[in-house]
Amino acid sequence: MPALVAESLDKSFVTGTVRTDVLRGLSIEIEAGELTLVSGPSGCGKSTLLAILSGLLKPDAGRAIALGEDLARLSPIELERFRLHHTGFVFQGFNLFPALDALEQVALPLGYLGLDDATARARARRALEEVGLGNRLALRPAELSGGEKQRVAIARALAKEPQLLFADEPTSALDAANGQIVIDTLHRIAKTHGATVLCVSHDPRLVAHADRVLAMEDGRILADSRAEPAAAGRG
Amino acid sequence: MVPLARKTLVYEWRRFLPSLFAVAFSGLLLLVQAALVLGIFESAAVYITRSGGDLWVGHPGTQSIELGRPIPNDTEIRLRMDPAVARVEPFIWIDGDWRGPSDRGGLSVFVSGVDTRADAMVFADVLPATLRAMLDEPDSVIVDRADLAKLGLGIGGRAVVNGHRVRIVGVANGLRALGGVNIVASLETARRLDNDHGGTEVAYYVVRLRDGADADAVRARLQPTTATKRYEVWTRGAFAHRAVTYWMFGTGAGLGVVLLALVVFCVGAIITSQTLMGAVAGSIREYATLHALGVAFGDLRRVVLQQAGWVGAAGLAVGGVLTAIVIVLAKHHDVPVQLDAITVAACAALVMGIALVSGLAAVRALRHADPAMLLR
Repeated sequence: MPALVAESLDKSFVTGTVRTDVLRGLSIEIEAGELTLVSGPSGCGKSTLLAILSGLLKPDAGRAIALGEDLARLSPIELERFRLHHTGFVFQGFNLFPALDALEQVALPLGYLGLDDATARARARRALEEVGLGNRLALRPAELSGGEKQRVAIARALAKEPQLLFADEPTSALDAANGQIVIDTLHRIAKTHGATVLCVSHDPRLVAHADRVLAMEDGRILADSRAEPAAAGRG
Repeated sequence: MVPLARKTLVYEWRRFLPSLFAVAFSGLLLLVQAALVLGIFESAAVYITRSGGDLWVGHPGTQSIELGRPIPNDTEIRLRMDPAVARVEPFIWIDGDWRGPSDRGGLSVFVSGVDTRADAMVFADVLPATLRAMLDEPDSVIVDRADLAKLGLGIGGRAVVNGHRVRIVGVANGLRALGGVNIVASLETARRLDNDHGGTEVAYYVVRLRDGADADAVRARLQPTTATKRYEVWTRGAFAHRAVTYWMFGTGAGLGVVLLALVVFCVGAIITSQTLMGAVAGSIREYATLHALGVAFGDLRRVVLQQAGWVGAAGLAVGGVLTAIVIVLAKHHDVPVQLDAITVAACAALVMGIALVSGLAAVRALRHADPAMLLR
């Protein structure tokens, strides 16, 4: 069974009297254990697709099914619980709390999962080591570079051990080297943790690192291509 | 659990400083106001609370001690007839016109005539035996230290009261009361100063009961039952309470206090909530991220309320210290201030209320923590 299913999704936004159709009958299935990249120009609806598949937004029509759950059937509380237990997010802005050091940023959501302090901290340390920040645990955001901050954000999502990991333009604020590290990390998470990684980006550098690339325009999928095994395995 | 509220508060203390000051000053205003009002209105009862005795007997319906009117002399006999009464002490209370140094003009004063025996009940806490004994000298009076400046005289100074010469032989602390300057004299001197009643009538009798007597029961027994009472009997506590209540509510000051407290509460809450809202708005993307990761709104709300709670507690501590300083300074300058545990607790509750209400207002700013906004 695919991890994420979009069935004939429609979504439009109304600004004043102007109605913009963002998604038009979009259907797609996304598999676990892969890094799937949705690419396209800004305004093509890719972030809206991610928001709907992650349960942050409700579609006007159609169904979004995540891990076999029809998200429209869940109450707001159930949706919170679903996201808490199954999903991780990485956003374009890193959105780290200025007051917390790297270890605390990552351990914070784990506390809400019900883990005790020692377990949360151990798991947070493992996640930070996995993204190569084992020697940066005690630093606050102000003391970290942009790339390091984004890796802390990834570790924060990863430490929850989610089955679904959503990333929205994770590299757009980063230079080439840091962008490379971030995309490699996301790819590795899909492979080693068997997670479903759905990444939305207009950054052409990422295409080469994705297992599957969905090209979007005007609310529709234009092309669905799989990378060569050799190319995807690189990284 | 990572203590997000506390860590943020410590790290971004500058952001929270205005709300801390708002809370601290609200606390200071509430406490100092309460201390002043209590201090002033307690002084309405100062003659009662600083005297001994169990019962006070005075003119029927007297609301506060300075409103005393003469009562019949045979009252003393009636009181003494009760087996539970151990001692009856007259207390003369007359109005006086004080003429001191010529550059000061006249002053309205109250003259208290008291028993000068060492174990007298009236002003037992204010006048030590040696000071009291000085009043045996004819035409001698004692005033409050804080009133000396107003009278323009020192110890040994001479003045004229109701046309009779008097001399200040000593000063005491705690005679300052509402309504005017208080002059203490012996019963004999006070009678000489009383031109209106020929020095034969007294305003109050203070009664000490025998050990083990039930003050309420004796009061009920001594209370006249006829339709037109010639005097009325109160327990000491009840009479003191009557005086404080008269000044607090009879003058409208009590309502003023409540209104001012309300204003302080509103202003404090508005400033504090604005600052807290600003702090929430400043971290709104981080809160939205946590919400995206599945942290419930209720948990985010708790973080904001915790911050409000810490701001309240810290503000209360700062306000408490400032109040203590103000109280010490006030006491040093003989400004009547008074605080009791209940008042402090009430003010503290009000201050924490300010913080809590502000926190609840700031929670509303969390509505904007919609993770979907992070995806635009």
